[in-house]
Amino acid sequence: MSPTPEIVFAGTNGGALTEIADYEAVGGFQALAKSRALTPDDVIAELNASNLRGRGGAFFPTGRKWSFVPKPDKIDKPHYLVINADESEPGTFKDREIMLRVPFRFLEGSLIAAHAIESKHIFIYIRGEYEVEFEVLVAALEQMRAKDLLGAVTIVVHRGAGAYICGEETALLESLEGRRGLPRTKPPFPAIAGLYASPTAVNNVESITSATTVMEIGGAEYAKLGVENSTGTRVFSLSGNVVNGGNYELPHGYPLRDLINELGGGIADGRSLKAVIPGGSSTVILTADEANTVTLDFDSLVGAGTAIGSAAVIALDDRCCMVQLAVRVSQFYEHESCGKCTPCRVGTKWLTSILQKIEDGRGTQADMNLLVSVAERINGKCLCPLGDSDAIAVMSYFDKFRDEFQAHIDEGGCPFHGESSLDHLLAPVAMHIALPEGKAIDGLINV
Amino acid sequence: MSSGELVTVTIDDRDVAVPKGTGLVEAAASAGIEIPVFCYEPRLGPPVGACRMCLVEVEGLPKLQAGCTLTAQEGMVVKTAASSEKAAEGQNATLEFILVNHPLDCPVCDKGGECPLQDLTFRYGPGNTRMSFSKITLEKPIPVSPLIALDRERCILCYRCTRFSSDVAEDNQLVARNRGAHTEITTFESDPYRAPFSGNVIELCPVGALTSTQYRFEARPWEIQNVPTVCGLCSVGCNINATVREGKVKRILSRNHPEVDGGWLCDKGRFTYPHLIAEDRITEPLVRGELGLEPVSWDAALDRAEALLREAGTRTVTALSGTESVEQAYALARLLRGGLGAHTAVLPESTSDALDAFRLPLSSIAQAEIVVIVGDDDLADRAPIVDLWLKAAGRNGAEIVRYGPTGTEPTGPGGAAAALRALAGSGNELGDRLRAADRAILVWSGSGGGGGARLAEAAHALGFAEKPGSGAFHLPATPNGRGVATAWAAAADEDEANPEPIGLLIISGDRAAADPAVRALAERAEHVIAVTMFHDLAVGWADLVLPATSSLESDGTLLNLEGRLQRLRRTVIAPVPDELAWISQLAGRFDVELSPHAVVVFDELSAVAFGGVDGSELNGTAPLPARTPYEAPPPAAEVKPATPARPAAGHFLGELRLLRYRPLFSGPFVERVGELAFQRPPAELELCTADAERRSIATGDHVVVKSNGTSVELRARINRGLVAGVARVADEHAADLHLHVEVVKP
Repeated sequence: MSPTPEIVFAGTNGGALTEIADYEAVGGFQALAKSRALTPDDVIAELNASNLRGRGGAFFPTGRKWSFVPKPDKIDKPHYLVINADESEPGTFKDREIMLRVPFRFLEGSLIAAHAIESKHIFIYIRGEYEVEFEVLVAALEQMRAKDLLGAVTIVVHRGAGAYICGEETALLESLEGRRGLPRTKPPFPAIAGLYASPTAVNNVESITSATTVMEIGGAEYAKLGVENSTGTRVFSLSGNVVNGGNYELPHGYPLRDLINELGGGIADGRSLKAVIPGGSSTVILTADEANTVTLDFDSLVGAGTAIGSAAVIALDDRCCMVQLAVRVSQFYEHESCGKCTPCRVGTKWLTSILQKIEDGRGTQADMNLLVSVAERINGKCLCPLGDSDAIAVMSYFDKFRDEFQAHIDEGGCPFHGESSLDHLLAPVAMHIALPEGKAIDGLINV
Repeated sequence: MSSGELVTVTIDDRDVAVPKGTGLVEAAASAGIEIPVFCYEPRLGPPVGACRMCLVEVEGLPKLQAGCTLTAQEGMVVKTAASSEKAAEGQNATLEFILVNHPLDCPVCDKGGECPLQDLTFRYGPGNTRMSFSKITLEKPIPVSPLIALDRERCILCYRCTRFSSDVAEDNQLVARNRGAHTEITTFESDPYRAPFSGNVIELCPVGALTSTQYRFEARPWEIQNVPTVCGLCSVGCNINATVREGKVKRILSRNHPEVDGGWLCDKGRFTYPHLIAEDRITEPLVRGELGLEPVSWDAALDRAEALLREAGTRTVTALSGTESVEQAYALARLLRGGLGAHTAVLPESTSDALDAFRLPLSSIAQAEIVVIVGDDDLADRAPIVDLWLKAAGRNGAEIVRYGPTGTEPTGPGGAAAALRALAGSGNELGDRLRAADRAILVWSGSGGGGGARLAEAAHALGFAEKPGSGAFHLPATPNGRGVATAWAAAADEDEANPEPIGLLIISGDRAAADPAVRALAERAEHVIAVTMFHDLAVGWADLVLPATSSLESDGTLLNLEGRLQRLRRTVIAPVPDELAWISQLAGRFDVELSPHAVVVFDELSAVAFGGVDGSELNGTAPLPARTPYEAPPPAAEVKPATPARPAAGHFLGELRLLRYRPLFSGPFVERVGELAFQRPPAELELCTADAERRSIATGDHVVVKSNGTSVELRARINRGLVAGVARVADEHAADLHLHVEVVKP
């Protein structure tokens, strides 16, 4: 199956549209003009017709989300649009490329969304580590201001401080308000009481950028792309043990096998595919056999017991020890747990300890049962999805590679005998500690 | 918030009808079903759903829900751990997780035996642990302040304490730091938690993480008794329990009166009880002999008192503090007025009866639309809990306007009455809104104004009498000033005689002794009797010293600032006889029949002064009497204009008006509790920015404050919220300074 023309990255020709004139030359800001000529309800109707669904991970219909924000005459408070650019799900690096390459399409979408929910205030909450992206956005905004494209709308780009939890929308709002980034209980949902207890729509960068295209080509036209229930294109972040990692914009419904083998150039170093994490570290892992049968869309992946999540596809080769992988993933969630609710704060740390014990060869059969029990006691009992994600991910490794866990117990150590490798598979937790000011990692920014 | 509409919720197969919006935890409790909680505490604001102890199964929702975050909805079907295996598993999971890092030091933990975590673990918890890794270990305990110790190992991170600090007291001092399993409770820069209400976090803590340094290792819950009484330290009269072990008060806890204190206490009320066992407490009567004051027997002391009273007769003057119970004041009045015909008294500031027309419970402040405060004193210094009610009003969206030297509308000292007159006059925009509001509150926080008479006039003019939600509060300077004045007045009808020369001055309590007017009388009196707990000023003037009891040691009744009579109970036996015992003995010698029992004295007084209210009605949480029709108070006396301060002119820097204030953490009880020393005001002088700049004074500079030949050296602090022309100094640091002072750098 061949990729369709680019939607999100349209007009870039592999480069970046960071000059406003270049963006206008490829039809930029026409969608905004068109949207502003429509009533907010008509914009929402167009989004509904497109069936564009949230690209942050939850896949919630964007038009419906906007329609939940009460009309200004129903509530005497300002309305806010908050854009979640705190991309931190391990394996996910699509939003940064969108902001780097098509900042104007993204900002245009923000203004369209603000028009749809009748908001005059946009906050872009950008991950603190995204320094270059921040500068590109600010420069793009300056160009837009110079052309008076914002109208009465203010846009504030707010830098986070590097906490994964602030990608959870209510923790993001807390952080934006100047407090500790801890998730809130829902209800009330942000649409009713979000930022400063006022009606707020919180959208992902890619959702907002795609909205520009929806308004440009029309909802019905957009809905023709992709497959039923999963319309349009998606920017997939391919990483792991593949030859050609990177972001690939593809229509929904594209075979996972083809992404890895054709676009990604297959598994590197002549190794074989062992498993695939299809939608970011929080999703259920797929065995190689499962991965060869699914397509990259909501229904197919849910049918396979997993989720499309943030569309971060991580391919694992046969050197990967599943217990080591579980330790690495669980360490991440332990490290990023905010500490608000008990099961996550205590459970993720306990889970890591049990996994490490098994990996170290000190585990017993009882620890296998304990691992399952602790994961089950975390899952579904937390305040937000962070703790659940750890339990779900780890349990999927355990369920699908139980023999490998058992081998650790039986052999009194890792059956890979030091030959395993997690190279290119998610950053170890030590790398989540902020870099000193002015230091960059070579090759990390690759436009 | 619940509305009137009833909804039916099914909890564990039982139909429960509750008002719509009732919290699920309360709805279940009303049917006798327990949903266990740790972090949930409705007084701290909206639920946070952090601890996950309250997990329940709700029909139609796939995941377990935090019961504390839900409100009752029509048709909701809920299963708690009692009827749902899934919910029970959820609860067991939470308890197991909470106990993973919780140390097993219950046998040496102050909370042991009255610990929600211990109780819930016994009821729901696992019998053993599956945690084989090292628990998180940390230094323990570490001080949060000299009053509060923090054991971070025991902390279960329910965030009750930090929510109290940020969402109730609004002092924003206690915070969480770090993330995940490393989260810990702390203050900024680990500074001491210095705030008027800090001690409440000890009671809020559901485990033994925050404990009282005073109570540490002092008692176990099965060997103590909690004696219900009220706090006698200010005019609010917070309801308290005194924890008593072996005849000693070991701690003070709140005993929630929802209308008076909402279950909170200030640190003065909570932590000053060690004054009862202060080393310098006077426990024997003292008579001045040739070698100074010498201890004598009670018989000899009463003989001496009788002789002094007979010699002075009607030339006896009595100075009362307003810290006495109504029974003590009434008994003294019956002895002196009835037995001697000595009708002259220096009474503490009272509260005008005219305010009874605008009476409301203190809790109504929290629901106000507008609150206007006038007066020179900060609320927290006069009646601390009122400040918490006011903060609740602010959080509920009330508009709060303060006329005063540190107010939102900066007003010079003594400007309260004028501010009220302006509000009540025609064409005042704020006054019009007060008139229009359904729930408007006026508060007088300072001296003067006829004890709230001017306030009553304003409330009347603003139409508050017709508004059941609008009211007015006068915050008197003493705990029971109105009760004492009422009791004194009830004992006889005769007028004061202003005897000259004064034969005998009786000074009851430290507040009277600290009054400059009383000191002037003492200098003129032929003899002085002091009734006091400690060697204070009055002891130096006294011919006879009679040891006093504390409000924690006597039965009696106090009349609080709302006009609510509340019961004081003897929580421990005092080391000295009760005042009523020796007053009744002395009264007998003057043919006045007086019971030594507070209940009997109260019945007698109640018939005369309190409409015959039955003392037994005051047990538990005492009720507030209904409003009475408005009767105009006596008009304001002619106020002689104060000598104006000389303002700056040319090279002359000018004088500042000295504004003395009595800080919350002051007085003989506070002075005797070492742990409270850090809460006391520093020796400093506050100036507004302009006054400081004119004198080239910066915060931290040492300055000399001079008036009429007296001078005091203080540290300067710029207070941007202070009105110009004022030098604000705590009473205890103002020494003998006069009304107008010069402030210069040495």
